[in-house]
Amino acid sequence: MFKILRDMLRYNIEFAIGFVLTLSIFLFALAHFWAPLPDTAIYLLPPDMPPSAQYWFGTTSRGQDVLWQMSSAIWNTMLFGLTVTVLSRLLAVAVGMLSGYLGGRWDQALMTLNDTMIALPNIPILLLVYFVMRDSMSWPVLAATAALLGWNYDARLIRSVTLSLRNREFTRHAVFAGMSVPQILVRQHLPYVMPVIFFTAMNNLIWAIGLEVTLSVLGFSDINRPTIGGMIYWANQHQAIIAGIWWWIAFPIIAVVLLFLGLFLLAISVNEYIDPRSRLSRMGA
Amino acid sequence: MLDTLQAPTTTSSMLRVEGLKAYYQMNYFGVRREVRAVDDVSLTINRNEIYGIAGESSSGKSSLIKTIAGAITPPLRVVEGSVKFDFAGRELDVYADPQAMKAARWQNLSYIMQGSMNVLNPVRRVKHAFHDFAFKHMGLSPSAFRARVEKHLQRIGLDPHVLESFPHQLSGGMRQRLTIALATVCEPDFIIADEPTTALDVLVQQDVLALIKDIQQRMGASIIFVTHDMTVHAAIADRIGIVYAGRLVEEGPTLDVFRRPQHPYTAHLISSLPRIGDNKKRSALPGKPPNLADPPSGCRFHPRCPLAVDKCTNENPPLEARLTGRVACWRAGEVQTA
Repeated sequence: MFKILRDMLRYNIEFAIGFVLTLSIFLFALAHFWAPLPDTAIYLLPPDMPPSAQYWFGTTSRGQDVLWQMSSAIWNTMLFGLTVTVLSRLLAVAVGMLSGYLGGRWDQALMTLNDTMIALPNIPILLLVYFVMRDSMSWPVLAATAALLGWNYDARLIRSVTLSLRNREFTRHAVFAGMSVPQILVRQHLPYVMPVIFFTAMNNLIWAIGLEVTLSVLGFSDINRPTIGGMIYWANQHQAIIAGIWWWIAFPIIAVVLLFLGLFLLAISVNEYIDPRSRLSRMGA
Repeated sequence: MLDTLQAPTTTSSMLRVEGLKAYYQMNYFGVRREVRAVDDVSLTINRNEIYGIAGESSSGKSSLIKTIAGAITPPLRVVEGSVKFDFAGRELDVYADPQAMKAARWQNLSYIMQGSMNVLNPVRRVKHAFHDFAFKHMGLSPSAFRARVEKHLQRIGLDPHVLESFPHQLSGGMRQRLTIALATVCEPDFIIADEPTTALDVLVQQDVLALIKDIQQRMGASIIFVTHDMTVHAAIADRIGIVYAGRLVEEGPTLDVFRRPQHPYTAHLISSLPRIGDNKKRSALPGKPPNLADPPSGCRFHPRCPLAVDKCTNENPPLEARLTGRVACWRAGEVQTA
């Protein structure tokens, strides 16, 4: 593992940049565990202070340090995005591969479900869930709902890859040699599907973070828990742009753009690691 | 080696196929179609024998061999008949006992499939293929298994380092050798090969054929293989069977079939082979192989046969013993060979 990481850092500039970006944002987010003040406390600091040596990114109109708010916010947003991504990947891989490999009635049933889910509009359903749940709405519930809405396009994509693998010689050979269906799917087909999973995971992560920001900006989430969208929500509530408190909005947006960039570079270079042909040719092996 | 120690069994046959019929049965929009790819084939293969199946494209060779391997999927179905193996006194009926069949695969019976150069998964190292296909059949510890595989590769003339490679890093000949190594690493009693050398050039083909023959002799295995290339049959087969339109039309020891073909179709196949120093024009057989969804009546070869008489149109000739082999023709032996 360490050797692979070293090779990737040395031979793949995209990976190196993405790795450094994501790692520094992650460390920055991790720092909120050592924050001097609790992230939900308000009016403990002088409000509306511009960036200075004491408050690097300034303070908000609610008397919070933007630096430490952001640290918590990125952590919470990433946690939400990763939860959605992992849950929806599990669904997409299971449905896509089973449907593609088993075919027949299984395929028909699963794809009917899949296409029904595609037809459902996301935001209205999430708002509906929010209004039904009201005060018991927590971020894990929101993440689970988003995951249930976010797997279907990718399940179709994964199904198409599995469908072509089903008739390859190595699959027929594996069947003849007595490998079971789970073994064939996990050992023979999953490595092939992996780049698709990684790339769709990247897209899904961006989609999930965007969804979280959208809902939070509109106030449809737990607004006391700092997130990137939540910070923008409060900045709007206090009319930060009109009041000239630009640092309240600018820094969270810069942070989330850097996060997207880092994750994107990681995703494309991880693909290269998984496809042995392009990795080895880059290394000159 | 062990075979010489064993008391001679009453029957030394390893595979018995009796009255095998396997049809592709399709039902599209209420229209039933039936393609009789394997139609009433009976054959016996002995221990230590290499049996070649020859025939032109779409004559049902591959369907026959797939049915023998028990590797068929719908729409191809076995309609009648049986395929029985005899592994060291243990009888195995392929279509009556799927559980025992599953256990015997790879251990007693291995299969080199058509297009076998693509048997290796392109995104996984070669060693994983050995592990997936052979490990659980051999019952060895991982390190002993690895040592066994490396030794086997060396015998076949491959460097054990290929285990760490990806398939795209190897040449076609190496991949073909690896496929053969995969099929023989468990030392099976019976090997089924479907066009094992078709994608290779003549030199590599020669090499691979020598390899197959060598392995067969060392392990005392029987081999049944299919190819349309008559020179391959001449090179390694002990006996050959000629398939025409889903039926076995002639069978016999290779030399006899080449020297004295009994069936007019076989005679034509053999006379079409080029010979050094002979620059006569080779005549083509008129017509084309019949549509197996609607085969001709009587002998299926009669529309193209130069010797056809009325009887051939109406009655199907049975496969009967004649000289050293068997032939299915009303006018067997009457054909003139060049």
